[in-house]
Amino acid sequence: MIKNIFTIGICLLAAQPALQAQSSQDTPEQKAQIELGRRLFYDADLSINGTMSCATCHEQRKAFADGNQAHPGALDDPGKRNVPGLANIGAFKNLTWAHNRLSGLAEQSLMPMRGTEPVEMGMNGHEAEIGKRLGQNECYQKLFLRAFPNKKGSIDINTVSRALESFQKTFVSNQSLYDQMTEKGKPLPTQKAQRGKKLFFGAAKCNTCHRAPLFSDDDFHQVQPKNPKNEDRMRDNGLSDVTGNPKDKNLFRTPSLRNAALTAPYWHDGSAKTLADAIRKHDVNVHQTLNHQEIDELIAFIDALSDTTFVNNPKYAKPAKECPY
Amino acid sequence: MKNGLFILLLATSLFANEAVLPSELSAWKSLSYVGTAKNAQELTDATLTLNSASLVGLLPTPKIQYVARPTNEGGTVSYGGIFRITIKEKGLYRVVLANASWIEMVKDGKSAQSVAHAQGAKNSGIRKMVDYNLDEGTYTLQLSAGADTTSAVLVTKLP
Ligand code: HEC
Ligand code: HEC
Repeated sequence: MIKNIFTIGICLLAAQPALQAQSSQDTPEQKAQIELGRRLFYDADLSINGTMSCATCHEQRKAFADGNQAHPGALDDPGKRNVPGLANIGAFKNLTWAHNRLSGLAEQSLMPMRGTEPVEMGMNGHEAEIGKRLGQNECYQKLFLRAFPNKKGSIDINTVSRALESFQKTFVSNQSLYDQMTEKGKPLPTQKAQRGKKLFFGAAKCNTCHRAPLFSDDDFHQVQPKNPKNEDRMRDNGLSDVTGNPKDKNLFRTPSLRNAALTAPYWHDGSAKTLADAIRKHDVNVHQTLNHQEIDELIAFIDALSDTTFVNNPKYAKPAKECPY
Repeated sequence: MKNGLFILLLATSLFANEAVLPSELSAWKSLSYVGTAKNAQELTDATLTLNSASLVGLLPTPKIQYVARPTNEGGTVSYGGIFRITIKEKGLYRVVLANASWIEMVKDGKSAQSVAHAQGAKNSGIRKMVDYNLDEGTYTLQLSAGADTTSAVLVTKLP
């Protein structure tokens, strides 16, 4: 008996490798939330003046980053931080560049919608507008009812944020060249990428923070130069701005390097234009000085972490305009 | 009448302070009014002229039928409009806009890929500029997800 439970336990563990979507186990309600969340993610009515959806800053073809140093808000307030990609975001405990107190993706989604530092979608104090706008749409009435039957299909910022969470939890990226070759037990196709991989997991110790399979340890580190040159930009003390603890000053969460080749520019403030800049920007104490060739090799390895199935997956794309029901 | 007032206000606010514009943007300073279409049938009354800047009104998004679904469609409370422009020779073109609307250049149902983005100089009245490699032919310029009821737009050929 005990042995059986043990075997079942092991089977379950084996059946759930990291970075796996669990769509087959989703309840009908969860499925409905994913469908609703996808529509909401692309709906600009979640911003004060209808100009901006989540997807305005999080573009699928860029692994859900956007290519700008920082993206201005709906009312043109300057952005503060660089837009991160969202690959495997459901696997992170700590969300955003420097926060350790968010309960999950639902709470996080309130930050762009009604945050004020900076103002992004500008809904602070206008939360009721969301229900009013979406409530006029028959399709949303149906979708909310399917997704939240226990709440009688209530359309409000909380159900919106829960649906957005369900959708974003499906963002799984595990089909990069690196994943495919690892699965087949084969080396990466180019010498350069092979050497990059060796460096990454070996001498350069990148893996201590950018830990596989997420290529992030989901933890906070100070890796920026002690005296950043761009002091005049918006002040950003990283984690200590959330915890109030001076020890947390300048700590930022390790970003995942999956699809990093698609998410330029880099760093929490978007100050590194290229992957090479981003790698060089780490405080030299973090890694031994890398020469030109080694940086090229590391970049070749990071390129192998790009996942075209992720950026082309139709399940994450803007849904058809027509109502599915 | 109401439109006339809007245009006057917009024009004064755009050019309250003179900015020095590069020669390829010199057309930006003389504006003429052009109508806005909300669907393909109305495009004949919403034709832009290459190298001349136009003041345009923008319409509530739910009233508009875009010829191709814009990547950023805008919510029900945003504004947009569609326009026609004829491109006589293949080349690099720039769309210059006074507001932050999403821009698409559509031909045969397909949006041209933009090749560069920029913001306008301070006090130029230019909010954004997007460059495209365009073929000869008739394009539909689509503005979507805008916050304003008016804007100014210029399509110009780059040297
Ligand atoms: C104006 C651009 C903008 C918009 C609109 C926007 N985001 Fe973001 N998003 C950002 C930026 C910038 C960050 C990083 C914030 C930080 O670190 O403080 C971010 C971070 C995130 C993260 C955390 C990623 C990570 O690596 O931990 C998630 C999840 C996210 N956004 C989801 C959303 C959702 C859902 C919406 C729509 C409700 C949305 N975003 C709208 C710019 C935007
Ligand atoms: C001590 C932990 C640590 C080590 C070791 C480390 N990194 Fe990082 N890395 C970080 C953190 C933290 C950031 C974010 C810094 C910021 O934005 O302030 C980062 C940022 C990056 C970025 C930019 C990613 C983005 O999306 O902006 C790249 C690329 C990168 N690291 C590559 C590497 C490589 C390659 C190595 C090995 C040579 C390495 N890192 C070693 C912690 C580390």
